[in-house]
This record gives sequence, C-alpha cells and structure tokens, in this order.
Amino acid sequence: MSLIAQVQAPTVDFRGLSPLIALVVGANVVLLAGLLRGAGVQRVLVPLLAAVTLIVAGALSVAIWETGDVEPLVQSALAMDTLTLSMSLLFYLAGLATIALSLRSSAVGEAGAGEYYTLLLASISGMVVLAAAENLITLFVGLELLSIPLYVLCGSAVRERASLESGLKYLVIGSVGSATVLYGLALIYGATGQTDLGRIAAAIGEQVEVGDPLLLTGIALTASGLAFKASVAPFHQWTPDVYQGAPTPITAFMAVATKTAAFAVFLRLFDAALSTNQVEWGPALAALALATILIGNVGAIGQRSLKRLLAWSGVAQAGYLLAGVVVGTRLGLQATAFYLATYLVMNMAAFAVVIASERVSERGDDISSVEGLGARSPVLAWPLTIAMLGLAGFPATAGFMGKFYLIDAAVDGQYAWLGVTIVVGSMISLVYYLRVVAAMWMAPDAPPLAGPVRRMSPASGGSPEADPRAQPETVAVALVCAALTIAIGIFPSPLFDLAVQVGTSISGI
Amino acid sequence: MLFEQVLFFVAAAGAIAGALGVVMIQNPFYSVLALVGHLVALALLFLLLRAEFLAAAQLVVYAGAVMVLYVFVVAYIGGADEPLSPEGGAIARLGPLFALALLLELTIAVGGSELAALESAPGTAAPGFGSPAQIGALLLSKFLIPFEAASFLLLVAAVGAVVLARRRRGLEEAGAEGATQVAREVREPAEPATVAGASGEAR
Repeated sequence: MSLIAQVQAPTVDFRGLSPLIALVVGANVVLLAGLLRGAGVQRVLVPLLAAVTLIVAGALSVAIWETGDVEPLVQSALAMDTLTLSMSLLFYLAGLATIALSLRSSAVGEAGAGEYYTLLLASISGMVVLAAAENLITLFVGLELLSIPLYVLCGSAVRERASLESGLKYLVIGSVGSATVLYGLALIYGATGQTDLGRIAAAIGEQVEVGDPLLLTGIALTASGLAFKASVAPFHQWTPDVYQGAPTPITAFMAVATKTAAFAVFLRLFDAALSTNQVEWGPALAALALATILIGNVGAIGQRSLKRLLAWSGVAQAGYLLAGVVVGTRLGLQATAFYLATYLVMNMAAFAVVIASERVSERGDDISSVEGLGARSPVLAWPLTIAMLGLAGFPATAGFMGKFYLIDAAVDGQYAWLGVTIVVGSMISLVYYLRVVAAMWMAPDAPPLAGPVRRMSPASGGSPEADPRAQPETVAVALVCAALTIAIGIFPSPLFDLAVQVGTSISGI
Repeated sequence: MLFEQVLFFVAAAGAIAGALGVVMIQNPFYSVLALVGHLVALALLFLLLRAEFLAAAQLVVYAGAVMVLYVFVVAYIGGADEPLSPEGGAIARLGPLFALALLLELTIAVGGSELAALESAPGTAAPGFGSPAQIGALLLSKFLIPFEAASFLLLVAAVGAVVLARRRRGLEEAGAEGATQVAREVREPAEPATVAGASGEAR
C-alpha cells in the first residue's frame, strides 16, 4: 500500500502532446467514418477527414514551434523540439501528398478506405513518436508503430502478387531490422544502465568507458538496424523489390517519410546521446555512406522500371544524407534537415508523375511508358524533368542547394573525401536521371505493344483515360512539388533559416 | 548461492538449446515445442534476476497463451506433413558465415566486459523491485507514453490483420468466375448429359 501512495502522477503537458493526440484521435475518427456506407463517404469524406487530421496536427506543431521549445514531455519520454517539429511537418506534408495520390488507387478500395487511411495516420504518428523519442523504450515503440502499418499497406493491393510479395518481404526484413535495433538498444542499456538519451550521454565517459565493448557493440547493432529502415547499403537489398511491388502511393510515402523518420532518429540518437563516441561510429558510418552512394548510383543505371529506378536513387540519396549524420556537427544536422525537405518535394514530384503515367499506360511503370510524354502531356513531363534534374543536383533546383549544404558540412567536419564522393555519386547519377529525361523529350511516342495487351492492373485505379486532366489531384501534387523544387533552388534562404533553428535543437554539438 | 549458479547455467543452456531447436528442427510442430522450452528457460532466468512478475507473465502469456495459438495454427494448416527444407543458393550458404561473424563479435564484446558481473556480489534490489505494483507504477508514470503508444499499436495491428485477412467479395467472385469458365469449357466439347455433373462439380 505504501508503494501505491508514493506514486506521483506524471505531469502531462497537453500542449506539447497536442499534435500526437490530434493524430491518434483523427486515426480513430477515420476508422469509424470508414464504417459508414456510401461511395461518397468512402471516396470523399474519409480522405478528407484524414487530410484534416494532418492539417490540424501540422497547425498545432507550427503553434508549438512559434511559442518556443517545450520541456521534455512526461518524464522525458518525448521531446517536442525543433528537430521533432520540423520532421513532423515533413511527415504531414508527405502524408497529405500520399492522400492526394491515393484517391484513385485501387489499393484503397481493396483495404477499405477507413482502414487504409487509418493505417497511414498510425504510421505517421509512429514517425512523430520516433522522431521525438528521448528514451530508448519510446524509440522502439515508435519504430514498431511506424513499421507495422506500413507492412500492411505494402500488401494492401491483395489482388496483386507483387504487392503481397512486397508486404511479406518488408515484414520479414523489417522485423529483422527491428530486432537488430532492439538488441543494440538492450546492449546500450546494459552498458550504461540508463534508458533516457540525456542520461546515456552523461553516463558515457563517466560511469562507462568510451571504448566499452558492450557499448560499441550496441551502437553497431543499432546502426545496422536503423540502416535497414533507411535502406543504407549493404542493408538495402529489400528496397527495389518492396518499392516496386507496393501500391505506388505507398511507395512514395515510404521513400519520403520512412527515410525522414529513420534519419531523424539517426540524428537524435547518434548526434545527441552517443556524441561522445563520434570517433568510433563516425568512420564506420562514413564507410557505409561511401558504399551506399556508390552501390545506389551504380545499381540504378540498369533499371527499366521507374519505381525500381527511384528506389535505387533513394538508396543513393540515403548515402548523401548519412554524410550529414557522420560529421556530428551542428552544420551537419542543419544540412541533413535541409536535404530531407528538398528530398521530399523532389521525390513526391517524381512519384506523382509515375503514378499519373502508370495509370494510363499499358506499360505500367516501365521507362517506355514515359516515352514521348513531352509531346503528349507537357504538364506531366515538366515536373518529372524538374524532379530528375533536382535529384541529380542541377543548379537552380532544390537538390543543388541541398547537396551544396551537405558537402559544406562534410568538408567542415573533416570528411572532405565524403564531400568528393557526393560529387562523384551525383555525376554517376546523371546517367540514369538524364535517361528518363531523354525518354520523355527525345524518344518518339512508344508504339502500341504487339501481342496481348497487358490487362489494366487493378492498381491503375479507374478507367484508362489517356488524359492527365482526368486525375487533377495527381497532376496538382506533381506541379506543386516541382514548383517548390525550383523555388527552393532559387530562394533557399527561408528554408535555410528554418534549418538553422533545427540546428539549435540538439545542444552540445 | 551455489544453487542459484547451478540454476543459472541449467536455464542458460536450456534457453540456447531451445533456440537452436527452433531453427534446426525440420518438423514445425517440434520447432514450436522447442520454442516453448526456450521461453520456459527464459522465465527461469527472469526469476533469477528477481523479476518474479515478469517470469510469471512470460510463462502465462508467451509459453501459455501465445504458444498454444502457434500449436493450433501449425496443427490447423498441417505443417507437420511438410518439413521445412532450406532452399539452396549462394546466399543461403553464406548466411551461416555471417551468423558466425556476428557470434564472434558478440562473444568478444561480452568477453571484453570481463564478465565483471559474475564476480561481483548480487546487485541490491530495492524491496518490491519487479513487483506488479512497481511495474504498474512505472507504466503509469515514467513509461506512460510508450505504454499508450503500445496500446495504440495493438489497435493498429488488429486493423491491419483485418485488412489482410477479411473476406473479399471480389476475390470469391473471381474464383466463381473461373469455375464457371471451366464449366463452360467442359460443356462445349462434352455431351449434355455429362455436363450437368461436370459443371456441378466445378462449382
């Protein structure tokens, strides 16, 4: 009895928690709304509610950002600092784009609109928990809350073998990654005796030696597990298959949001909690970044499927992003946050065009499906062109500014050779990015397929209208993201200022 | 003290043997039983760490409820008839090598800590440590957020299971369509008298 009397209820700062509460409440409302009958409910109301949830959560996050930092929440389980808030805003934007891209996807009908959007919102809430985690337990629960809905979403187009295969592959590989992270976290806890990130940072060098083998093994296993999630080579093999098989809106979401979440936790765990060990993990992660940049770019060269090509390109981009983590400086943190934002708009523009063109093309997402797109519908060809040039790092696009910032951070953090690798990687990447651009503008319109025409796959959604105006929301996402890619490339300073604020979130680096 | 040490090594050996059994036994049914053995050995280890509640929960929830479910599933889909045979291939042959490398690394790491804990006196656990009351208090204070997030995770997992497993009218229609098509194909060449039986069977 005496023990029960001692228990103090924790102070719960509902203002700081409000974005998460909005997400969870919204997910439940969407789930219940999905039970209502009627095509209007399924096609309009449910996605609208999901979008409203994300907008409310985003507005609350902005409000928290405006009023300044909040203290760590609920006995330092979560930190709603600028790093969390900025990453959350990226998740919400990616979520909104995914909702728009999903409107005509048959995967929604297969899974049920309520369930589909609930899983999407749950995954986003897991990402917010993960990015905000100030505690190893919260971190792991957030990782699972992110992953489990995604396994289901990948397999949600149940009529397609590829989608089921993708879901199963992601489940198996993702579980191995999660288990590896858990093992690593357990060893870090075993070495330091703490689960709070702040106390771990304090314990390293005091209660436990910096070179403690248990601690180092824990760091290595955690890094490997997170590398699975971020598709960093050599843990990337699942990426092309899963990205190709999953419904394309989910592929876009995974490519952007999951990667952002994985890098948010990389930044917080390595640059904040384990910063004392930077001498040990820095070179190891730098080697991974080098391998990732080379393997990703070389792997993309031979791809004919646009989804696989973007998957390999995503692997390469993960290598660039890792360079910002490796240096462990404030500049690296800022550069990574900046690049994650640019990565979002460029990839969303590319995926929106891929979705629009695979819905009307009998060739699916093969590169020949965009042949002659420049003449056929320039409104789709221009966004994809801008996205490809941006991902390659052309000047006057967001990708150029992002890479510039990352290289600056790498050189500043005594990793100049990594900066050179980024440049070399970008040069290799031109081969495949420009191949897509050339296919759009220079190849003649693809002749109709000889032999039996591929049946319009259920993933193609509605009827095969050959007019981009038939799917205005997809085109809108492509155009907005492409416009942002150019805008950030020409006027980077507003985003720079935000990135500088993010840089202040982790003290002591 | 000696009894505890003996118990530790018995439980540790049992846990490792059980884990090896899960992956090495070809028959899925015995594999599940090996997993039960592994979990019971783990519960013993928890008991040695003064975590009585955790040990009991491990036995009741995992070794009891969850494993019974596993046994049911294996019995239901008749896995025992088809022994799991690993597929050959270059990567499959490399797998054990990587596992061995990881084992070496972990052994070095654990050995590097000089197993200081083995020599030291048992840690002083506060009275009531690991009791249900203390675990409950932690779940409602320090780990409130992970606890709530985990409950939301369970809801989401249930939704996901429904999405993947629920009946789909379309799929059944496709199946029925296929059946009628077969029936039609049978009908055309065949004599009318045999058709009724054939199409009835196909259906």
